[in-house]
Formats: sequence, C-alpha cells, structure tokens
Amino acid sequence: MLKRQFFCVFLLSYCCAAAQNTIQFNRHIRPILSDNCFKCHGPDGHQRKAKLRFDTEEGATAELKRGRAIVPGDPSKSLMMSRLTTTDTDKRMPPAETGKELTPAQIKLIRDWIKQGAKYQEHWAYVPPKVADTGADSLGEIDRLIRARLDSRGLKPSPEADRITLIRRLSFDLTGLPPSAKEVNDFVSDRSANAYEKLVDRLLRSQHYGERMAIYWLDLVRYADTVGYHGDQDHAISPYRDYVIRAFNDNMPFDRFTREQLAGDLLPDPTISQRVATGYNRVLQTSHEGGVQRKEYLAKYSADRVRNFVGVWLGATMGCAECHDHKYDPFTKKDFYSLAAFFADVDDNRTFRGTNSLPTRREPELRILSEDDVATLAKLEARQKQLKKKKLPKPGEEIQAEDLKNRGEVLKNIQAEIRRIKAKEERTMVTVAIKPREIRILKRGDWMDTSGEVVQPAVPHFLKSIETTGRATRLDLANWLTSPDNPLTARVFMNRLWYLFFGIGISKNLDDLGSQGEWPTHPQLIDNLAVRFMKSNWNIRQMVKMLVMTKTYKQSSLESPRLRELDPENRLFARQSRFRLPAEMIRDNVLAVSGLLNRNFGGKPARPYQPAGYYRPLNFPRRTYKSDTNKNQYRRGVYMHWQRQFLHPMLRAFDAPTREECTAQRPSSNTPLAALTTLNDPTFVEAARAFAARILDEGGSNVDDRIQWAWQEALSRPPSDAEEKVAVSLYRSNRAVYAKDAAAAGKLLKIGMAPVPSKIDRRELAAWTAVARAVFNLNESVTRN
Amino acid sequence: MDALTEINRRTFLGRTSFGLGSIALGSLMKSEAASRAAPMGPHFHGKAKRVIFLCMAGGPSHLETFDFKPKLKEMDGKPMPVSFTKGQPIAQLQGKRLRCLGPQFEFHRHGKSGQEIAEIIPHIAGIADDIAIIRSMHTDQINHDPAHTVMNTGISISGRPSMGSWINYGLGSESSGLPGFVVLDSEGGRNPQPIASRQWGTGFLPSRFQGVQFFSKGDPVHYVKTPAGVSAAQQRGLVDAVRRLNQIRNQSVNNPEIETRIAQYELAFRMQTSVPELMDLSDEPQHILDMYGAKGADGSFAANCLLARRLAERGVRFIHLYHRGWDHHGDLVPYMKTCSRLCDGPCAALVTDLKQRGMLDDTLIVWGGEFGRTPMFQGKGKKPGRDHHMRAFSMWLAGGGIKGGVTYGATDDLGYFAVENKVHIRDLHATMLHLLGMNHERFTHKFQGLDYRLTGVEQARVLNEILV
Repeated sequence: MLKRQFFCVFLLSYCCAAAQNTIQFNRHIRPILSDNCFKCHGPDGHQRKAKLRFDTEEGATAELKRGRAIVPGDPSKSLMMSRLTTTDTDKRMPPAETGKELTPAQIKLIRDWIKQGAKYQEHWAYVPPKVADTGADSLGEIDRLIRARLDSRGLKPSPEADRITLIRRLSFDLTGLPPSAKEVNDFVSDRSANAYEKLVDRLLRSQHYGERMAIYWLDLVRYADTVGYHGDQDHAISPYRDYVIRAFNDNMPFDRFTREQLAGDLLPDPTISQRVATGYNRVLQTSHEGGVQRKEYLAKYSADRVRNFVGVWLGATMGCAECHDHKYDPFTKKDFYSLAAFFADVDDNRTFRGTNSLPTRREPELRILSEDDVATLAKLEARQKQLKKKKLPKPGEEIQAEDLKNRGEVLKNIQAEIRRIKAKEERTMVTVAIKPREIRILKRGDWMDTSGEVVQPAVPHFLKSIETTGRATRLDLANWLTSPDNPLTARVFMNRLWYLFFGIGISKNLDDLGSQGEWPTHPQLIDNLAVRFMKSNWNIRQMVKMLVMTKTYKQSSLESPRLRELDPENRLFARQSRFRLPAEMIRDNVLAVSGLLNRNFGGKPARPYQPAGYYRPLNFPRRTYKSDTNKNQYRRGVYMHWQRQFLHPMLRAFDAPTREECTAQRPSSNTPLAALTTLNDPTFVEAARAFAARILDEGGSNVDDRIQWAWQEALSRPPSDAEEKVAVSLYRSNRAVYAKDAAAAGKLLKIGMAPVPSKIDRRELAAWTAVARAVFNLNESVTRN
Repeated sequence: MDALTEINRRTFLGRTSFGLGSIALGSLMKSEAASRAAPMGPHFHGKAKRVIFLCMAGGPSHLETFDFKPKLKEMDGKPMPVSFTKGQPIAQLQGKRLRCLGPQFEFHRHGKSGQEIAEIIPHIAGIADDIAIIRSMHTDQINHDPAHTVMNTGISISGRPSMGSWINYGLGSESSGLPGFVVLDSEGGRNPQPIASRQWGTGFLPSRFQGVQFFSKGDPVHYVKTPAGVSAAQQRGLVDAVRRLNQIRNQSVNNPEIETRIAQYELAFRMQTSVPELMDLSDEPQHILDMYGAKGADGSFAANCLLARRLAERGVRFIHLYHRGWDHHGDLVPYMKTCSRLCDGPCAALVTDLKQRGMLDDTLIVWGGEFGRTPMFQGKGKKPGRDHHMRAFSMWLAGGGIKGGVTYGATDDLGYFAVENKVHIRDLHATMLHLLGMNHERFTHKFQGLDYRLTGVEQARVLNEILV
C-alpha cells in the first residue's frame, strides 16, 4: 500500500508538469540534479569532477574535452543522456559507489527538458518574491491558491470543523493552552456572525500568545539556561527569554525584532530592553573546561554564530561551508567567514574567565530590574539624597520635620528597602562591541592554520550586497535582512508560520529553502505571503490572524481514507493537519485543566519535579537538582530550566530539542518513554489528583455527572455512552481498592506538593485520580486536531 | 521515487517506537532491499549483531597501557623536543615548560600472541589473544566534551546522531521490552568527567533511536515505576481503560496515530516489568558475580559490565558503558591503580563470559577513551600526571569478527604522533558498521536536504587488517 501512495503522488506531480507542457527547471529538474549530480558537478569548485557543473547553464552546456553535457534541444547529442542510460557500469552516472540512481521517470524528465531547450532558472528562493495580483483580498487569496491546486487534482476542501474543535485548535495554536469549559460554551453558543473573529482577537491579545510564539523562536535561536559544553553550568540569560515573549505580545514588527537581537547595542541610545535583546549573540554554547584553547574556541563560537544566524534568518544550512564550499548551494567558504566577520566585534574575551560555579559568570552581563522596581528605586534614592542633604524643614513641611527628627531611622529603612530591591536584580548576558577581531578563512576549518585570506564582513556573494562605506556592521546585516529585496527572510519566516498553523511547510524543509530544500507545493502562495508580510511592515500578529481566518485553516482535520492515501502528508491542504502537541503544551494542558497552572509572566527559570540523580553525570561543580517548592513549580513549560546537556526528561520524551543548534522543526515521536512520562511523572500524577479534587468539588454529586463534567473540562466535549461506561468501571474498580486500602490512597495523594483539601474523602479522591490520569493519557489530550 | 519513498518511510518510522519499529523494520527492509539507494537495513551479512562500547571517559594514557615507549623512558625528565610540539594544540599545559615523563609501569608480553601490555591491567593482559589492539588512533579534539562528541557522532558539532542511534536506525532492535540503545555510567578515579546526554542523542534520526540511560539508584529508567499507592493491577487497569477509550474515540476520528499510541502504552507497561527484572541480579550465580567482581546492581563498573551482558542477551543492539575516572592530569599512578582495580577485571570478565556463552562471536566489544595523554609531564597533584592528547592513543576491540591477538598501527618513539597505519575515529566507525553488515558510505540519512552519514564527508576505511 505504501508503494501505491508514492506512485500516486509522483504521478500526479508529473502529470501536472505534463499538463502545463513545459518542464520547469526549478520545480522538476533542479531537485534531481541537486540530489544526484551537484556533489561532484556543482558549486564546490574544489571537488568538481571533469570540470563539469550542472548548477549553472553555462557550465552544463560548455564545450568540454569530450563534448557538451547538455546540448539544448537535442538529447541525443547531449553526453549527459548517454552517461545516464549506458549499461556500462564504469561509465554510468551517478557512479554506483554514490548509492544514487535515477529512476526511468526522472531520466525521461531530463530528456524531455533538454528537448524543450534545457532552460535554466535562478533558484526560486534567491529571487525576490513577487506578488501575483489575484484581485482578491489577502484572505480570499490564500484560499483561492489552495483551491486552485485542489481543483487541478479533482479534490475538494474538507468541511469546516465543528466549533469545539475550532476553539481547541485556536486556543492551542495561539496560546498553547486549552480553552476552559466556559470559554468553549461561550463560543459554541455565540451566534453572532463574527464570533470566530472575536475569538481569534481575544486569543491574540492574551499574554499567553507571546509565550506560545516564543516556544518556537527559542528553538530557533537555541535559547537555553546553561552553557552547553563540559560542565554545562547555568548562565544568566532568562531576561532575554522574557524579551522574546514580550516582543510577540507587543507585536513588535519583525524587522525591529531582528535588529534588536542582532544589533540592539549598535542602535542610538539603546534602551535596556534593546540591550537585553542582544543576548541573542551570547546564548550560544560555550565552555569553561580546563585547557580550553582560546583561539580554538573563538573559532568554534564564530562558526556557531554563523550556523545559527543562517538557520534562523536565511533558512539555509551553511555548516558545511566552514570547511568547504557548499556542495549544493552557491554558499562558499568565503561567504561563511565573511558572515563570521560581522560578529567579530562581539566581546567574547571575558567568557574565558568564567568559572566552574553556579551560575557561572559570562561578562559582559547587564544587571536589570523590572520597570516597577526601577521606578520605586529612583524614588527611594531621590528621597535618600534629599534626606541626607536637608538640614532644616521648609515652612509647612511638618512631615519632613518629623522625618528629620527620626532621620537616622528613616534613612535606615530606606536603605534597607533599596537593598531589598537591588537584590531582585537579574543578570543577563548582552553584546558589547569591541574592536573587531581579524577573521581569516580557515583551511578545512582548522583554527591553527593562519595562512587563509583575511575577510571583511559581507553577505553571501550571490545575494544583493550591503552598500556601505567602511566596515559593515551587525546593524547593517540586520537591515539587509529586512530590506525589501532580500529574497529569503520573509519567505523563511512565513513558511515557518504556515507550518505552525497547518502542520507542514509550503516548502517542507523548514531549514533549507536552497537547492536541497523542497520545491514549494504552492510557490505563488509562499511568495504572496512573503510580500504581504513585508508590506504589512513585518506585522506578525496581522499575518497570524490572516492565516487562522482562512477557510483552509478552519477545515476539519478528519481525513477520508482516500485523501490519506492520496496525500498522506497533507501537502495539498485539503484538510487541516492533526499532530501531537509540543512538549510544553502537553505539560501546560494538564496543569491548566487541574487548576494548578501558575500563569505568571517571565522571571527566573522554573524547576518542576525531576527524577533524583538525573544530573549525576554532570560535574564542575557536581550538582543536585532542587525542584521549586513554591508556585514556581507550576509555571508553563516555556519557563522551565533548560539544561542543555540534561534536558528535563519530560521535555525530552516529547521531542523538545536540547537547543545546542537551531531547530526549525521538532520531530513528533510516539514512544513508550513518552507513555511512561504521562503515566508516572509526578507532575502528571499530581495534576491528576488536583483535577480529581476539582471533579469532586465542582462536578456534581453523582458519578455520571462527575464524568460528564470531567470530560467537558479536559476535552471540551461530553463523553459518549461507551466512554462513560469505561470511565465508570475504572472509577469503581479503583474505589473498591482504596475502600479497603486507605494507606494506598494516602500514598497516592502524597505525590506532589499541592495540599489535599481537608474536607474531601481521601478514598474517593484517590479513585477519581485514576479517572483523571486516564483522561490525561488519552491521545486526545496530547493532540491538536 | 526514492525521495518520496524516503519521506513516507520516515513519516512512518518517525512515529513508531523501538519495539514496534523492529517489526515494521523487517517488512520495510524487504521492500527496500530492491532499491539501491535505500539507506536502511544491513547491506550484507555482518558478523556482529550488537556492540558493547566500554568508554574509559577522561582519556586513559596509552603510554601506561598498550603503547610501550622505551625511548620515552630514557628521556624521562628531559625537555620534550620542540620538533614534536611546535604548532601543536595544547590543553592545560599551555604556556608551561614541556618535559618528558617516562612510562610509569612495566610492560610484558602476554598470551600466545605475545601482545605487549602494561602490568597495571593484568586481567586485560589475560585476554590478550582475544583482542586486537590499535596503537595508532587519533582524533580532532583536545577537550573532553567535543572529543566525546567526535567519538560518538563523528564530528565535534553538537546535534548529530550518535553511533548507537545510527546502528539502531539501521538494524532495528531485537528486544521487545527494552530500548535498543542503553547507556550506563560509573565513577571512580580522578574527579569524574561530566558526560552530556548529547553523547547518546539521536540528532536528526527519529527519537526512538536515542540512547536510554539506566540508573542504579532510584528508578532504573525515568518514570518506569508505577506511582506510589497504585498497584500493578490498578496500573494495568488504567492502561486498559486508556486503550479502550482511545479505541472508542478512534471509531469516529480514524487516526492511525492512535493505534501506534496504544502499542506504545503496551510497551511502556511491559517495560515496567522488564526493566526491573533486568536490573535484578539475584538470579546470577555467585561464581558469575565473583568473576565480574559485582555485588549487585550498585552502579559500579563491574555491575554495569554484568548488566551489559544481560542487555546483550535480551537483544539490545548497542550498550554503552562510561567509566568517568580516567582524566589523570596528576597522580597518574595512584589513579591508574584505582581505575584498574575498578575496570580491568570486569572488562576481561565480560569478554570471557560472552565467550563461554558463545556470544562473543556476534558481539563486538570496543574499549577506549575519547583521546590519549601527552608524553609530557603535568604536575597537577602530588605525583606526575599527563595532559590531554589527540594525536595518538590506543584502543582495543574484541569479538564480532575481530581478529584476536594482533596489534595494529604504531606511534613515534615518544608516543606523540600516530605514524603507522593511522586510524581516525571515522575508520573505527566504518569498521564497526562493516562488522554489523553495513557499508558506511551507503548508510545515509537525509536531513536538511543533505545526505548525512556517521563517517562524514572525509575518506574513511574499514580496518580489514584486524578482521577475521
């Protein structure tokens, strides 16, 4: 059956090509050449065989020793065709040892393309996007473009999902949290025409919107609370995390967001927030291992920054260009080091003085306070100054006179208050520009080789260059990214935004829009979105709203067997996607339903329960994890302490990345370790017993009512009769056990630190905990539909 | 077609777990055997079915174990010739005066093969005829963390799959109740080396191929214990209820993911018994415990070696043991003695035990650290020590198609550079994969549009000279 699916999809895309009668280089030919030929006949000049390259028209049609590989219009004279089809295994391309082989259909495509004149096209993602005017508003435009593709395939979109599904989908997609039963009820019963839009607007205004968006951004910029290498000590960076959340909540335009992170320190009179944003340049992996060679690690940090920068903003993988020219895309080694030169002014010197302490110090760090605290502090300090100066009260200032009498005492109080506030100061790593280090091209990436050419900051040579007098800066780089003729930034971002709300990218490879990426399923759509994004002045919230308001978004995710077979990955968007929730949301969901969730914003990393001894393999210093004993225990997943080397087992079990490198797409696994986590992790067991307490308190007085209520609260819908039967029988069997074994009930209810309500029957509570655990372990509880 | 096959296969594999995966893999491998470009499944019949990697973390000195250097003995205390060290990377000895430190132990010839091994590891010397010693290893990294990353993933950049993940990805697991890749660690010796979980990470391969750490204290696997106050029967009842509820729901939503999830819950429940049973050594006879020097599953290297055998018996594909005591910047002699006391006997016992059970033939054992140590003296501690060294070190292999009783490769007179038959980590990886039936050049996985492989982009070779 699997085989048939591939065949269908392949045939369909080929038929489309045939229908248009022209084979397009970008869409049909480049992927084949890139995958099979570019490695030896591509952009990397050092590895090129037989002086032949297929990535440029010039190269492919050049007169070489044995003739021309491609003679446009004439496949029989094109050497390429004979080398692809010969039965002589020594001559046949690609060589057997590469493990690559073209299918007969691919060979035919190439032959037909040559026959049609072998026209080359610039790679789609390197040409600035153009909007095709469809005469419709942006909303209708998206649906129209999706619909056009479906029509050509004889497919129809799915019907709109029911309201319950819609509000659950929107709540998770926009805030990462489930809707409350009341919210569901309000929406379902709202008959006004704009009920849906009102809901979208409400969710977009929620402070949880920023938290949800940040989860994704923090994966990209590889945000973590520890240094990553060797001793993996904590470093000071959480204010940067809060900056990101706030930026989304304030709907900061993406160009400004980009500028502040890359170069906030270079802006005129940077605000504290802009300086905090530059934590982006500092949140890479660093090492305090004894015997670290400074030059080696400066080279490592430099390469790390280039890899991440390119991954986040250009949607490309450039890691290989550290040692050699890219084999598939036009990125050269020189491009790699020229990009590194932009970051050569980031002060890393003091990093090497960091110690094996917790947290370690990685100057330059900024000490910051909340805005309220800053204001209070200013008042107190002014008052202190005043008091110290004042000798005599002015006429009429009786209170002042009173103060004066007790001046000593008042001063003491003020000073204590100042100290108390200052103790709340948080530190965060920031970028401070120093005289740029000299950056050379390192041969094979070898930091000891100093014979390479010295390079100046420059963007990849095949993209429009930065016009500047003097040395280009990080600020120039940021401005270049968001200039209207940059072909990548907007496309990369909108492709990823699409992925967040539809489950799969328009170009599927979110890391790479280059040659080894995928031809977008809807090329005009990705371009239109990119142009609209730029024209909106990089308004992220407006784009998000635009996407979720489409009919395409609102479709049901239920798939017919035919649709599943025809389009298993949902590349055509004839339905919504359903997927497992990200790790953080799985946690947040049970905490929200249980009523334990702490909805506070920002602050120090949260430390939920974690198996004892998990950090045992860490050293310098050795450490014991202390889980939070206050409300910080119940913070949202986005605030969890992110230990790069030993990420919390719950986060790991649900595929959260360690954030050592840029992650644009998390895998979605389904493993027994994940099952063990939701079954037995104390966070989940505690949430279940807290939910059980709510069931008993709020869910009515008989078993049926309580089950109804529990389903409504946790899953936003009533149980079916069959489901209710299962739940009742689970409840009864557990009730029977705990009726006889009060001690067991006591043990279960001791898991976690949440108090057990005193008036509650503990056996009853333990039995309902079993039901709550079952609900939390349902596929439905971890799935966005 | 191939690209699409790949996408669908991955979509499928990415969502299933280790146990189920092994069933699925069987049928997938058959269908993919026809396709030359298929990245999965053994390419040919391999002699080894599994690997036990005994990692001596910290970097044991080759000069005190398998690489005797009489010339270095003569030079003891004299300045290290600049011709060796000029322009070379240096770790903690940066800026220090460099002088030679002679070998601290005597070497003797052992076994019929007469392999030259230091007196400090007498038990390993006792299995000299079973092991192939490589004296010409070298690596790219001089600090622990990145050097381990190279050893495990072939490159120092974080985030690539480890060899255990690759091997499970290629061959699947044979165990239905245990993960295919298990990691155990122990301490003893100098200040223990930190080991990042990245070292058994799965990188861009499906998460189910990630190494799972087993612990001797607390739950042997995270969350494998049923919550307090819940009996096994109640837990069973809960898992059954979840299954039934999922099935009922699935009648209306028809989601294949639900079937997979149900299977995962079954596996999870099975692990709740199979893991504790694995860790319970009470069914081992006393003479076996004595042979390893184990006193129960106490987290010692000896106990971990015995557990490694039990894991191997249960079909676990890749078993990785870390002993984190080998970073001997100072007090080399006393710390070597400690490490030897803890590790030497169990290593030999493991080889012998597997041999007597007929399992050595299809189990590849690899012994070694992430790098070696300098021929130069380092003075951290009361007695002499040695600094990190990446240009030469020794490892040994046994079983699974390895020729016993051979020494391969050589270093220069002072043990500074590997000079003869140099072996890079990627050659070791190529050889391991070869023994498992996989051609390292064809064993690839597409990620971010690129074909990645464990052995990377540089040339790597299979060490045919040490194969049976």
